Amino acid sequence: MSLSEQVRDGIAREMAKYPKKRGALLPALHLAQAELGHISVETAKELAEVFEIRPIDVMEVVSFYNMFYDRPQGRHHVYVCTNLPCSLRGARTLMRGIEARLGIEAGETTADGRITLGHEECLGACAYAPMLRVGGTYHEDLDLEKAMQILDGLE
Amino acid sequence: MLTVPYVTSYLSEHFGDDAFRTLEGYRARGGYQAAKKALTEMSPEDVVELVKTAGLQGRGGAGFSTGLKWSFMPKETDKPKYLACNADESEPGSFKDRILLERGPHQMLEGILIAAWATGAEKTFVYVRGEYAYPARCLQQAIDEAEAAGILGANVMGTGFRHDVVLMRGAGAYICGEETGLLESLEGKKGQPRKKPPFPAQYGAFGMPTTVNNVETFCHVPHILTRGADWFRGFGTEKSPGTTIFGVSGHVVRPGLYELPLGTRLDEIVFEHAGGVPDGRKVKGVIPGGMSMPVLPASMLDVPMANESLRERKTMLGTGGIMVMDETTCMVRAACVITYFFRDESCGQCTQCREGTGWMNRIVERIERGAGTHEDLEVLLDVCGKMEGQTICAFADAAAWPVQGLLRHFREDFEEHVRRQKCPFPDSFEL
Amino acid sequence: MPNVSIDGVEYEVAEGRTILQAIDDLGLLMNGVDIPHYCWHPKLSIDGSCRLCQVEVEGFPKLQIACNTPVKDGMVVRTQTESVQRAREGVMELLLVNHPLDCPICDQAGECKLQDYAFEYGLSHARTEEPRRALKKRYDIGPTILLDQERCILCRRCVRFCREVPETSELAVFARGDRSTIDVHPGVELDNDYSMNVADICPVGALTTKDFRFKVRVWFLDDVPGVCTGCSNGCNIHLGVASNKVYRYVPRRNDEVNETWICDEGRLSYKAIGAPDRLDASELRHADGRVETVRRDQAITLAAAKLRSLIATQGAGALAGIASAHATNEDLFTFRRLLDALGIESRACPVPTGRSDALLIKAEKAANAAGARALGFGDPAPVLDRLRGGGLEGAIVLGHDLLGPLGPDVSRLGSLDTVILIDTHHSELERVADVVFPARHAAEKLGTLTNHAGRVQRVQPALEPPFEAYAEGEILTRLGEALALPGFEADWDPRAVSKRMAQEVRAFAGCDVDSVGDSGKPMPGGSA
Repeated sequence: MSLSEQVRDGIAREMAKYPKKRGALLPALHLAQAELGHISVETAKELAEVFEIRPIDVMEVVSFYNMFYDRPQGRHHVYVCTNLPCSLRGARTLMRGIEARLGIEAGETTADGRITLGHEECLGACAYAPMLRVGGTYHEDLDLEKAMQILDGLE
Repeated sequence: MLTVPYVTSYLSEHFGDDAFRTLEGYRARGGYQAAKKALTEMSPEDVVELVKTAGLQGRGGAGFSTGLKWSFMPKETDKPKYLACNADESEPGSFKDRILLERGPHQMLEGILIAAWATGAEKTFVYVRGEYAYPARCLQQAIDEAEAAGILGANVMGTGFRHDVVLMRGAGAYICGEETGLLESLEGKKGQPRKKPPFPAQYGAFGMPTTVNNVETFCHVPHILTRGADWFRGFGTEKSPGTTIFGVSGHVVRPGLYELPLGTRLDEIVFEHAGGVPDGRKVKGVIPGGMSMPVLPASMLDVPMANESLRERKTMLGTGGIMVMDETTCMVRAACVITYFFRDESCGQCTQCREGTGWMNRIVERIERGAGTHEDLEVLLDVCGKMEGQTICAFADAAAWPVQGLLRHFREDFEEHVRRQKCPFPDSFEL
Repeated sequence: MPNVSIDGVEYEVAEGRTILQAIDDLGLLMNGVDIPHYCWHPKLSIDGSCRLCQVEVEGFPKLQIACNTPVKDGMVVRTQTESVQRAREGVMELLLVNHPLDCPICDQAGECKLQDYAFEYGLSHARTEEPRRALKKRYDIGPTILLDQERCILCRRCVRFCREVPETSELAVFARGDRSTIDVHPGVELDNDYSMNVADICPVGALTTKDFRFKVRVWFLDDVPGVCTGCSNGCNIHLGVASNKVYRYVPRRNDEVNETWICDEGRLSYKAIGAPDRLDASELRHADGRVETVRRDQAITLAAAKLRSLIATQGAGALAGIASAHATNEDLFTFRRLLDALGIESRACPVPTGRSDALLIKAEKAANAAGARALGFGDPAPVLDRLRGGGLEGAIVLGHDLLGPLGPDVSRLGSLDTVILIDTHHSELERVADVVFPARHAAEKLGTLTNHAGRVQRVQPALEPPFEAYAEGEILTRLGEALALPGFEADWDPRAVSKRMAQEVRAFAGCDVDSVGDSGKPMPGGSA
């Protein structure tokens, strides 16, 4: 799959905001990943051409940041914050429960490709723990039942 | 869900009011008057002087004088100058910048405008952590509104001053909250902090002179402009004036945000404001300023929350993220979580940090599993010593301090694990 | 110029340098002033990440990294204090936390900076039994190099090298923290003209060349200073020699010539020395085409007789002298004297050419083309014209580079009355020569070579050829003696020849084999 015209236009708009093209690499990766699900070697090559850098320059950036993926993911990313404030309020117990219910461990994807489950470092919701993030949406003040209701609602 | 602070002051006064998030609502409450005043009545030097006199300290963790930082920007230069707003809030226990972005984005933009005038910056890059999708949307909305109204752009409020604000989203790396890590990330690279010299004021974003300030720091600025340095100094302590928004989390009745003057006592925040520990349990320890800061035991909570007093207890204000741990808490488990975090987030450049964070994590996890030795405790402290003050940025210090703090005040927890070769805290939070 | 005190000794250093650079400029780094370092390399950008070079600088509360701290006048630096030692110990211990400690099976052993510094600056015992990172080993990342990720200490020299020197960027650090690894991009190998330099600059056994791996333990190697003969750049090298065999070339630093680098082609050109196609005996070709192997003196006698009779019948004008751009200046100076004494005026030096780049690789694929020109051996075209057009009846030929410009006309050469060939390797020329002498390679003799920029550089015998071979100059001297020419009586002494050349040939004034030292010297007139 290659980058759509929309993504390419979006990247061009982002580039205009920075004094050097490359400033728009993270925004471009966000845009490309939103469309393609992950940054493949082929996507890295296309982006490298757009940015006039090398594919390896793209992939080392991808590898550095948690939110970029170099391989296919489930349709939904579910991240449970397991940092200290959340752990103090049962985040890891919640995580165990979700793992048991989904039948996968953190870091894995359900067999139907619906959910990739992961743990994450502090998400800035410390007072509303435990919590999880589905893509860009926070769900806070959870227990296992509330969490499963949210996960069950994911297509 | 994110709620407005339980205790409010000037920063969060209007956070309960949805209209405050809009340009119209912000203006109706006096918004952008301070920026107008700065741009039309004051010289950049006047503004820097005023912020210095007010004694505003950066609220991102280091507590450096904001006015002084601004004054480092070169005056005579042909290069474009930039500001960067650090909205990469990732310090565990901290969630104040999130509400400042969600509930008062124009307040921050006004602070940015004033800082831009003071430093001669033509552009501000706001670096919002990637996970903050909603706060980023709130801010982008405010930027769009301000641009449309001529508050940002080629002719700020008709003054002829140019200033643009660009919002960039990070992608999940704690180290991008370090100011030069942020600059690298802004340039589309891995967020690995830069060696200094050169310093950002000489060679910052894209090689141009740059000043980096935290979200909250900018938010204080319009209030100082409007009401003056004396008024600002009416809050807080002599050395640490103003309020800050404390985030309280962990084992308390009312976890949440509290805007209080710096110097408010920690026990007052934990017990009076946040309602103490639920179910009549006792406090065991409190991390006062985000996870990088050393823990305090229950006996030391009578401390004013300001750097000068916290330093006497070998800890610091940091980002004001207060984490309360009750008597059931196993401090070795806490150490496991803390060291895992730093291991996970180390950028990996400097030897001591890359290898030290992992080594500490492996040792504390082994102790928790019941396979620790007494020598391990000495090795842990020794590794901390080898990391502290030795690396490009302060991350390694931030990784060492909490371990030192736990061993300083809760060594008995570690020794008990070693003696019994298992975790002696069955009721502690699960790992 | 700022004055800096280092461990109580005052040094005047250049403006705008960092502490480590300034010490390196003075030639004192690890050679009087010991500041161990991994990530810093004199010819790469400053990284500042290994943290091993921390020193005390008066006025700074914390230790400073010497690699990135600019010198200032009056600066006081201490490199041997207790806090510096502690910091070094800390770095060394932490670097070993994840290191596999597989020295007995590691080919870097003996030239491993991790070993050296651990011994010098580290703790005496390891304090961790934690499991180490399990990563890729013997990982084939390109035609020349294997990577062992477990041994890597992430100094990033190799990454910076590929970015900054060949500008090919094949390597990068992926992921972060203690999961960081050096790797290539999927489907893109480490493959550039300078790739093997990454093995030289790798301070540990993470990057090794396929060519040298496990050939010999480095402590058995003698490092003999010399010059690469692959092209006219004349990159300075150390020849790694054991049991009279060259196992490798590694670049030897010369900021005027090759900094600290060498191209892969040049590096591997050592293989020519011990190649199976070396000419290893003097040969006579009889009229019936039969080739007879003879002792040198017999060949000399016969060659002299043929030359004498040809000159007597046809005159010296019927002969040409073809020089080799691989021979030393001393060889060619001797050749010139012989040709002068015989009155042979037709002279030339064919120079093989090929690809070049902006870095080190030069188009002239011989080490001494400039020296040959300076000694009067120029463009071979006029000689070739004479050969093709007739009027040439004999030639003394050094090397076989004539084959290129000669092309199919090599048979024309065969029809000459007398062809005397002195060469290092078998070639087609051998089949048309009447007398053939085996010559020494530049690694097997003393002498000088003049590089493209007119820099005269010394080569010296790093090994003895395992068969009877002589420097071209020596064969030519014996030939002169057999021809009873005046001034050819003495034994071959390249040092004396070199001194005489420096006196008699203006271009070489002051550039004899002793005066040029190990790092060479520009010819007074510049490039020829």
